[in-house]
Amino acid sequence: MASATLGARAGVRVKSRTEIPRWVWALPPVAVLGLVFLYPLALVVQQSVTPDTGGTSLQPYADVFASSAFREALGTTVWLAVGATVGCLVLGFALALVIAFVPFPGGKAVAKFIDVFLSFPSFLITLALLFVYGSVGMANGLWTDVTGAATGPFQFLATPWGVLLAEITYFTPFVMRPLLAAFSQIETAQLEVASSLGARPARIVRQVILPEALPALAAGGSLVLVMCLNEFGIVLFTGAKGVTTLPMLVYGKAILESDYPGACVVAVVNVLISVGLYGVYKVVSRRARA
Amino acid sequence: MLVHSRKGKWAAWVAFLVLFLPLFALPLLVIVAASFATSWSSAFPTGFTGGHYRAATSGASLQALTTSLVTAVSASVLALLIGTWAALAAAALKKGGRRVLDALFMLPVAVPSVVVGLAVLVAFSKPPVLLNGTRWIVILAHTILVTAFAYQSVSAAIVRLDPAYEQAAASLGARPSYVLWKVKLPLLLPSLNAAAGLCFALSMGELSATMMLYPPDWLPLPVQIYSTTDRGSLFTGSAISVVLMATTLLVLLLVSRIRTKASYR
Amino acid sequence: MADGIRFEKVSVAYGGNTVLDSLDLTVESGEVMALLGPSGSGKTTALRAVAGFVRPASGRVLIGDRDVTDLPPHRRGIGMVVQQYALFPHLRVEDNVAFGLKAQKVAKNEIPGRVTEALEMTGMASYAKRYPRELSGGQQQRVAIARALAIRPGVLLLDEPLSALDAQLRSGMLAELARLHRELPDVSILYVTHDQVEALTLADRIAVMDKARLQDVGTPQELYRRPRTEFTASFVGNANLLPVQVGSGSVSFAGAELKVPTGDVSSGVSATLCVRPHLVGLGDGPNALTGSVAEVQWRGSTHRLYVDVDGHRLKADLRELRTPPALGDEVTVHFAPEDAVLLSAGVSADG
Repeated sequence: MASATLGARAGVRVKSRTEIPRWVWALPPVAVLGLVFLYPLALVVQQSVTPDTGGTSLQPYADVFASSAFREALGTTVWLAVGATVGCLVLGFALALVIAFVPFPGGKAVAKFIDVFLSFPSFLITLALLFVYGSVGMANGLWTDVTGAATGPFQFLATPWGVLLAEITYFTPFVMRPLLAAFSQIETAQLEVASSLGARPARIVRQVILPEALPALAAGGSLVLVMCLNEFGIVLFTGAKGVTTLPMLVYGKAILESDYPGACVVAVVNVLISVGLYGVYKVVSRRARA
Repeated sequence: MLVHSRKGKWAAWVAFLVLFLPLFALPLLVIVAASFATSWSSAFPTGFTGGHYRAATSGASLQALTTSLVTAVSASVLALLIGTWAALAAAALKKGGRRVLDALFMLPVAVPSVVVGLAVLVAFSKPPVLLNGTRWIVILAHTILVTAFAYQSVSAAIVRLDPAYEQAAASLGARPSYVLWKVKLPLLLPSLNAAAGLCFALSMGELSATMMLYPPDWLPLPVQIYSTTDRGSLFTGSAISVVLMATTLLVLLLVSRIRTKASYR
Repeated sequence: MADGIRFEKVSVAYGGNTVLDSLDLTVESGEVMALLGPSGSGKTTALRAVAGFVRPASGRVLIGDRDVTDLPPHRRGIGMVVQQYALFPHLRVEDNVAFGLKAQKVAKNEIPGRVTEALEMTGMASYAKRYPRELSGGQQQRVAIARALAIRPGVLLLDEPLSALDAQLRSGMLAELARLHRELPDVSILYVTHDQVEALTLADRIAVMDKARLQDVGTPQELYRRPRTEFTASFVGNANLLPVQVGSGSVSFAGAELKVPTGDVSSGVSATLCVRPHLVGLGDGPNALTGSVAEVQWRGSTHRLYVDVDGHRLKADLRELRTPPALGDEVTVHFAPEDAVLLSAGVSADG
């Protein structure tokens, strides 16, 4: 009972020791983040309104927006990202559906493989596609071997379609993971009851599984959309001059042309699109968890 | 469960394999096959050689491997430290403060890595902090990029942590700092491990920001792979890629072994 | 040495929702006080206010004569055991028990002795080297109790400690807790439960809570034999609650005159008569009522009869009947005047 007799007695209100307020503990990491990330980001914005000629003006924005290279890159980036996202959603949903609801031996291994797949860098996919669909790769080799033609029909790798294929391949697992988690929440009894009531698989998918998976689909889809907008490695490795996305434009302007104000303008536009969409993703995924 | 007839099941499985194998398994297999081949001009690679691996594990490539390892380990340790601290501090805050911290620390995920690279380049190419041209600028950029993921996974683990443990400890007379060291951190250890593995893998494969920043004497593996394949040495590039994948997997495996040792439930 | 607990007008609110309304209650030192009530009645909130995990919007909490309202939990000197045990999964049993001693910087050479003492008290000494995951639910609960006792608290808070155990283990642990309290007569215990059997068995006094308020306090016997409110009557044990008109020395129910002690309830008002089902007898007798059998339940050693008397359903628990009446049969039941308690409507209205 020694512990209980500690502290002041005689009915006086025992003052709690003056303790450091909790928010003080948040300051050091925020300060570090501010110094190495937020401050540099602010400098990018500042640089974007500081043309090489000196002074502060929106001239760099006007220049960049007027250039056809930028408008083309913006268009390419957006349609690639949207296309890849749609592809990932369709493919990811179908594959996750089979893994979760038509179980087969080795299904666990497949799920593990997907986790491993996620830990590899994206550009490896482009590298692999060079061997599969490249001008002297597997597919064209097979074609020329069989038909005796001089060149194969698969020449899309250096076009946006090559980038699209690589992005769908690389990002589909990012959709499958939250989907598999959502599917594991669906009780099998629900499916069994539905099919005992005479519902065919297509109807069960539409009326039982899809509504449950919708939040996960939305969350996974918006994450993939943001990641596609920001993707750099896949496009760089494709080496196609015809495919320029916003991140490529930032890299090109900054490193190859040393046009820092221009690079910063593109960067600001890219950040605004991505962060805006990421905000949507956070809202959607919070709702998905609720 | 969903499909009951034998025929329907087989149809689903065949469709699955037809999609899954070429899209996901084939690329990795192709890279491994190419790394052993002398040439590839028809359907299948021809000639077997270990020569690409000799190139991939010596000279500049070996240098790149150690560069990547040092970068990834330093960035992961720093990110884990900052991310865990921030996540713990955020968990102690009220809802509003926690939201602000969440937004701040998740921002590097949303900002394109190329832009992170550009920002770091713009900020640290001039005094007072001149890092451009040194290895530190690469490590710094990697740390920024992976801190967000460390923060995210540690935050999620803290949310899952049953407050009953903390309260039981407090009722037994443990000060908050004692609770942190003796209860919270040990219970979070498995998640910290997982976060470390994630950070390491991400840093090992980081290309976008690195391309903006790397100095000539600090060339990580992804950049080495790019410059090798850009020169046209696709097979050596594949061999280096396999080295990259194998190293990442090995470290992930080691980390997950520690994790199973450290998980108590 | 021992400390009691005192609540002085303690109110707790979450976001404008009052979950504990102006609680006034004193737990004498060395007393076992059960907080009994349905879920959402505020009983757990009251316990957590003592532990320091919720902060009262107003009022004071005292342990002994210390005002602990503003103290953080770790400086209150309490022992606490919760429903889910909350044993630290990464520590062996002995380290779990030693945790509080180490945290409070008890002299190193004293710790092993105190750990052994606490483990022996709960019969867990031979499990010292195990991890919590290697123990059964009942064993984990004993370790949790040992861990709370090792710091020799003046006050022990038990929050539904038995509700995660199955029925058989529960009655064993109940006896165990009673024994522990006999061995530690100085420790005040605040015991939160929704189970009336636990409260009746263990408590020196019971505080009945409902709708964020204290409804009734008293010894188990008082509350059971002389409940003061309808809520207490129906929550502590089973009760027939009959609407009656009070006369002088008798009440009228469904046209019948029942002789019951009316005490100081003034005649002419409506009130509620509480009769325990097991005190109702079958056949003619004093205060006889006649009705038709609506339901017969066989419960092994007893028969529960539901009898409709003029539209009111009366429960009677009878020793197992050789030939139970059939549904619809006319039967007569009765009860002794001294077995009925009159609850005046005024009391039950303001709770």
